[in-house]
Amino acid sequence: MDFRLGPQADEVRREIRTFLAENFSEEDRKRAAEDGGGHDWDLYRKLAAGGWVSAGWPKEYGGQGRDPYEILTLYWELCKAGFPWIGLLNNGFIGHTLMAMGTEQQRAEVVPKIAEGEIAFALGYTEPGSGSDVAGARTMATRDGDDWIIDGQKMWTTTGHTAQYIFMLTRTSTQDRPHRGLTIFLVPTDAEGVDVQPIHTMGGERSNGVYLTKVRVPDSARVGEVDKAWSVVRFALGLEQAMGYADLQERFIQNAGRWALEAGPDGQRPFDDDRIKEQLGQTAVHAEVSRLLRHRSTWLQDEGLDLGGKGAMTKSFSGTSYLDDAQQWMDLVGPAGLIREGEDGAIAEGNFDEAFRQTPVNTIYGGTVEILRSLVAEAELGLPKSR
Amino acid sequence: MDLSLDESQQILVDTFSEMLEKECPTTLVRECESTGFSPHLWDRYCELGANVMGLPESSGGLEMSLLELGLVATRSGHVLAPVPFMEIAAAGRLLAGLGAEDSLVAEIAEGKPSLSLEIPRTQAILGTTRSSGGRTLVPFGSITENVIAADADGLYLVSGAEQRRSAHGVDLGSSAMAHWNLSREGGTEARVLAQGEAAEKALARAHAEWKLLAAFWLVGVAQRSLAIGADYARERIQFGVPIGGFQGIAHPLAECAIRVDGAELLAWEAAWADTEDPARFEMLCAMAFSWASQTAIRTADISLHTHGGYGFWTEYDIQLYYRQARAISSIGGGSREELQRVAELCFDSDGSGAADALLGGA
Repeated sequence: MDFRLGPQADEVRREIRTFLAENFSEEDRKRAAEDGGGHDWDLYRKLAAGGWVSAGWPKEYGGQGRDPYEILTLYWELCKAGFPWIGLLNNGFIGHTLMAMGTEQQRAEVVPKIAEGEIAFALGYTEPGSGSDVAGARTMATRDGDDWIIDGQKMWTTTGHTAQYIFMLTRTSTQDRPHRGLTIFLVPTDAEGVDVQPIHTMGGERSNGVYLTKVRVPDSARVGEVDKAWSVVRFALGLEQAMGYADLQERFIQNAGRWALEAGPDGQRPFDDDRIKEQLGQTAVHAEVSRLLRHRSTWLQDEGLDLGGKGAMTKSFSGTSYLDDAQQWMDLVGPAGLIREGEDGAIAEGNFDEAFRQTPVNTIYGGTVEILRSLVAEAELGLPKSR
Repeated sequence: MDLSLDESQQILVDTFSEMLEKECPTTLVRECESTGFSPHLWDRYCELGANVMGLPESSGGLEMSLLELGLVATRSGHVLAPVPFMEIAAAGRLLAGLGAEDSLVAEIAEGKPSLSLEIPRTQAILGTTRSSGGRTLVPFGSITENVIAADADGLYLVSGAEQRRSAHGVDLGSSAMAHWNLSREGGTEARVLAQGEAAEKALARAHAEWKLLAAFWLVGVAQRSLAIGADYARERIQFGVPIGGFQGIAHPLAECAIRVDGAELLAWEAAWADTEDPARFEMLCAMAFSWASQTAIRTADISLHTHGGYGFWTEYDIQLYYRQARAISSIGGGSREELQRVAELCFDSDGSGAADALLGGA
């Protein structure tokens, strides 16, 4: 038994911290938080120049062949630092997918451009009418000679306004069961008929809705076989579910702890109040359990073992425990907790307010906690399908 | 990273599982409800070396790690074994570590369940502190003849059944608790084991170990509670279908499954930290105990509820788990107080910034 991530992951941690110290200033962090788009081209190109976009790819595709622990550490450090990393996550995954199931042309031309940080992708799965039921996508792709014509609408297309392409799930057949008629295309965001509209959230994120009207793409933009995209979709969701928010929970407990140990205007430390102490303990335990579940998912991935429902466990626990803690803390710290970072009187770097606004979505996107619990019930407890 | 058991650990698990599934059916647990102790089952434990697993070789022990002791505790929790495994392990290691009371350690090695320890939690024994009548509740106090206790002057051993202040009593979890007079101020005779810093360190260590083993035990209680509930949800038909197909039944059980996995990983990590990440050991033990307490209590509750009215019936096993989960947690002071201890151990209340390293882990 060994709970260490290993020397290579430790080295990545050092390298990323150095990278952040040199390239990611406090101003950058604030700008990223204000922008909320999850992707910043200047910063992203610097990451790509360091080889981090393709860090987890095999060496034959120009990657660094880094193991899952190193990749976990990369995201952990970026996320904790407030670095806009959504684009990195999407592109790393899409590169993987193209290597596994893309055409020869996609592998030869698109993959290197992703690695070099020249192009970026947004994920286009969710639609106004299909969230949890992602296989219910209704955006239609219809053959027209050697081309396809795409009509429909996507929702929550985060980074859709900064990416050149959308990795888009479409319906190509209505003959069979819903998940057997899905196909993925690489759709340029500047193609005629693509209209990207902003969506702003309570948590400060900027996402997008994307309208698609008679968008023409060549068959060479298709990824994988026609009608067979379901396994790709599930793979991507599986990756996201195995991550969770343990990194942000760690930042949250550290900020809460620092705040609690500092004497307030009355000279008293919040830490000396038993209610605060108890909540600090609970938050620390939640952060530790989230971390362990995430590490276990990573270990299973590295060993090539079946995750079963254990990826879903990771995100479900992390999402619900972080949300609960954010709400409990707001109840304890009083009105000063409401003040946003940078405003007069903000406490704990505004982390109480930020967490309170941002955590509700953690139990929703990438698989709602209800979907995840159903997966766990089926895969881990052998219960019948419950949806 | 490696989250698997090695071959010898797996053999240990299999050996105890096999013995316990055979020797400790819930009929035995019910038979022992009034005493909380089965001498017959304890003999089986000793045949497998459970009494000396954690003792040093010089004391006739097997010098096994806390992880290995914990694995046995989890198996014991699965079957609600009415034996003082945790108390003998933690208190025995304390004595052997101090090099004190050789003859008593030898008795333990011979299989006599003659030692326990006080688990002092000031807030948990509100109104029943020693000064209020010299009566302290001791786990397995009804069968032991020696109790390790501590006060401001150090660590000491109280011996002799005449210091016991109550006989076998029925309690929620069949804990074999009894009151002991452990107050030296009241004139109780005691043999000094350690004083000053040595006493404090040894005591903190013993309590961390007991809490850790209790966490492992509670993980076992939770795992079996979950399995009982899931089995029932697959078999029980209402409205023409198994009730496990309803989200109202399936989701609370799934949530428990997640928490139980977390509790097991946390207990494993704490045990591993004993030798591999010692700076975090004590904090992780407190985390493991509080989380396993919360999880076992919740899981037994959800599982009982899954049974509908049957879960409330004494004929059904789940009510035994519901009671024992709470009992073990309470003996350790309960989860809320332990969470405060997590905060104290983690943040050290001196603002030195050590907390970040403790939180971040290895």
